[in-house]
Amino acid sequence: MKIQPLVMDLEPKARPEEADAEGAEVYDLIIIGGGPAGLTAAIYASRARLKTLVLTGSLPGGQPANTDVVENYPGFPEGITGMDLAQRFQSQAERFGAEVVIDEVTAVDFSERPFTVRARSAMYRGQSVVVATGAVPRRLGVPGEDRFYGRGVSACATCDGFFYKDKRVVVVGGGDSAIAEGIFLTRFAREVIVVHRRDQLRATKIYQEQAFANPKMRFVWNAVVEEILGEQTVTGVRVRDVKTGETSIIETDGVFVYIGMVPGTEVFADQLELDEAGYIVADRHQHTSVPGVFVAGDVQDPEYRQVVVAAGTGAVAAMEAERFLSEYWQTSHQEG
Amino acid sequence: MPMLDDNVREQVVDFLKDLAGPVRLMMFTQEFECEYCAETRQLVEEIGELSELVSVEVYDFLADGEKAEQLGVDKIPAIAVIGAEDYGVRFYGIPSGYEFTSLLHAIRTVAAGKPELSEAGVQALAEVTEPIHIQVFVTPTCPYCPQSVTLAHQMAIASPHVRADMVEAMEFPHLAVRYQVMGVPRTVINETVHLEGAAPEPMVLEKLQEALAGTEG
Repeated sequence: MKIQPLVMDLEPKARPEEADAEGAEVYDLIIIGGGPAGLTAAIYASRARLKTLVLTGSLPGGQPANTDVVENYPGFPEGITGMDLAQRFQSQAERFGAEVVIDEVTAVDFSERPFTVRARSAMYRGQSVVVATGAVPRRLGVPGEDRFYGRGVSACATCDGFFYKDKRVVVVGGGDSAIAEGIFLTRFAREVIVVHRRDQLRATKIYQEQAFANPKMRFVWNAVVEEILGEQTVTGVRVRDVKTGETSIIETDGVFVYIGMVPGTEVFADQLELDEAGYIVADRHQHTSVPGVFVAGDVQDPEYRQVVVAAGTGAVAAMEAERFLSEYWQTSHQEG
Repeated sequence: MPMLDDNVREQVVDFLKDLAGPVRLMMFTQEFECEYCAETRQLVEEIGELSELVSVEVYDFLADGEKAEQLGVDKIPAIAVIGAEDYGVRFYGIPSGYEFTSLLHAIRTVAAGKPELSEAGVQALAEVTEPIHIQVFVTPTCPYCPQSVTLAHQMAIASPHVRADMVEAMEFPHLAVRYQVMGVPRTVINETVHLEGAAPEPMVLEKLQEALAGTEG
C-alpha cells in the first residue's frame, strides 16, 4: 500500500497569554471547523482578503479525513482518497493566506462584537464567525460499547480496518457510510456482516450494487444491536429482530458503527438557535440567529451530508460574512 | 521516483525554515532492507535535502548493533530524532501518511529542545524521576493519531526519564497482538497502562501518574 506523506500544522500559533494580551489582533473571520465547509469558507474568505483563522477541531479535514475514497466529489473522475481531498482543501485555503490551527473550541461568546472564541490553547476574537463544526458519529448507546470503544468497537474503518485481517466484523447501519466502509473492510476481513434495522439499505444505489455483489458481505435485516459481548475482546453482538422481537447472537471480532451523526453544537447551545435535533437553524443565506455569525456544512444539514453540499454552503457563508463586514465597515466609516 | 512530490517538498521547506538548532535523523535499516526500510530511508534522506539543519545518518541494524543498543533501537525501520541531546524521540515503522506530520513536528520541537506543553504539563513531567516508556500505536491512515504521537514526543522532550515511540502497527503485527491493539491511536505506558483514542494532555498525564504508581507499588 502506497501512502502519501501529508503535512499538517498541529501546534497552535498563539499561546493563551499572547492571544489574550491587550492589542491582540482581531480576525475579520473566525471559522470553527476544518472540514469541507470550513475550509471552503476559508478559501473564499481569504481570497476576499479577509483576515481569516480556521480552528479545525480535533479532526483536521473533517469527516472526509476518515473516509477511504470519495467518489462523488466533482473534478476527480477516478475518485480521491478522503485524506488527499482534505489535504487539498487545506492547502488551497492556506495558499490564499488563511491560518489553519488544529485546536478545539471549548466556549464562545456571541453576545457582543468582536465575538470571542475560546479554544483549548488560546482565545481568539473575530468580527464575524462561520460555524462549521460538522457532526460526529452517533453511538449505539448499548451495554459493552463504552468498554470496548477503541478495542473492538470503532467508527473509523480507515484507521482500524487493518486489525481485522482475516477476521469477522459487524457493521451497524444501512446508509452510505455503513456500506462504503463495509466494502472497504472486505479488503481485510474475511466476512463483513451488515446489521440494519430496516429491510432495505438507504445507501446510494452504486454502493448497494457493489455490496450485494461482494462475496464477503452478508446482511442481517430488521435487526438492532442490543449489546456488545466479550470478556477481554469483542466476541459477538446480541441483536433483536424488530419484527419478531427474537434475539440472537452474531459472533464477531469487531463492530463498526455507522448509524448516523450528531451535530457538533454543544458549545453553541445557549448562543444560537438550534432545532429539536440540535442542528443550527439557518436561513437560505446561511445566516444564524445572531447577525455576523454564519453556519455551513453538516452542523446545519441533517438531510444531505455530502462533501460537495458542505463545500457549497461554506462558500455561501463566507460570501455572506464578507457582505456583512463590508456593510459594517461602511457604517463605522461614516460614523467615524 | 521521489517519495515527496513538489507540493509536499515546498510544505516541508516552509515547515522547517525556522528550526532553532541542528537535528540528526539517525535511521536504522539493514543490508537486505525490510519492506518499509528502503522507503523510510528514502523519506528521511529527502527531508535531509530540504533543510541545512537536518542531517541524516543511516545505520545498519546488525553491523551497527552497538549504536542501536545505545539508542534503545530494537526493531527496524527506526528513526531516532536527536537534537542538542537525545530526548528519547523515536519512530518505528514508516512515518508516512498522517504520521509524516508527526515526524516534522518531532524535528521542529527537538531542534528547539523545548516541549509544547501546558505549564502544568511541564511541571508534572519535571517531577518524574522513574523511567517512563510511551508507545503510541498508529496506522498511517489514521487522522487522529499524530496528535497522540506528538503529545508523547513532547513529554519525552520535557523529561530525561521519558522516552516515546511511534509504532506503526501494520509493520509490527506481533506488537499489535502483544499489546492488544484493535484500534488506533492506542497509547501504552510502561507496558501496563493503556489509553484509547486521541486523548488531551491532562488525560495522558493522569495515565502517566497511574503508570508511575504502578512501578512504585
